Amino acid sequence: MNYNLITYSIYLPIIICVMIKIGWLFYKNGEIFLLNLFQNNTELVKSINNLLLIGYYLTNIGCAIITISYWEQIDSMLELLNSLSLTLGKIIMLLALMHYNNIFWLKHLNKSKLLNQ
Amino acid sequence: MENSKIIIGYIIYLTIVIFLTIYISKMLFKNGKLFMIDIFKGKEDIALATNKLFEIGFYLINIGFALYIMEIYYFNRNNQMSYQTLMEILSKKIGGFTIYLGIMLFLNLFLFFRGRKKSRRFTTQTTKVL
Repeated sequence: MNYNLITYSIYLPIIICVMIKIGWLFYKNGEIFLLNLFQNNTELVKSINNLLLIGYYLTNIGCAIITISYWEQIDSMLELLNSLSLTLGKIIMLLALMHYNNIFWLKHLNKSKLLNQ
Repeated sequence: MENSKIIIGYIIYLTIVIFLTIYISKMLFKNGKLFMIDIFKGKEDIALATNKLFEIGFYLINIGFALYIMEIYYFNRNNQMSYQTLMEILSKKIGGFTIYLGIMLFLNLFLFFRGRKKSRRFTTQTTKVL
């Protein structure tokens, strides 16, 4: 077993746990915004929320998995730690960026809805 | 057997991809039923039939695409493939397919929203005219 395989087997569980946990949190807390946007139509909101959660999982876990194929060659323990932290940091920062983007859009949509009324 | 690792790769790839496609389209069209009923203004039989047809189309497109990108090209001097290379190739294929599936799902969701908006605008206009 070489260092690359060890890195992958550390990387995959961590990133998948993070993604699932974060998606679940968004799913829980975003429901109230969607209810506000769709005039309290509970069933429709539930199905939209489910679909959004699945789409989130697919694109993000796909992105996390595809990163493996572009990994650099690793020869020592130190390089393993360095590249692992670099990649994890990159992906989690990207996630945070997308999250703030989402919050911005939610705020924007709610505001425009209030103006229309 | 110099190509046995490629065959292992194919088996892993096919099981993951087919299960993923079936699960995703089941979920998508279970949740899409409400949209369809909204679009067809409560005519349930037409809505369910359309839903089923869309589901079959979704299966066909995605499984077709998955099979189309399946082939693993790998040439080496001594035709030996390490597990690391296998994992990297597989991750590229499975990750790419997952992202593609996510984009298709969002596209479908967008179509649902569009249809719902259009049918709604149409009904409001007709009621205004009447």
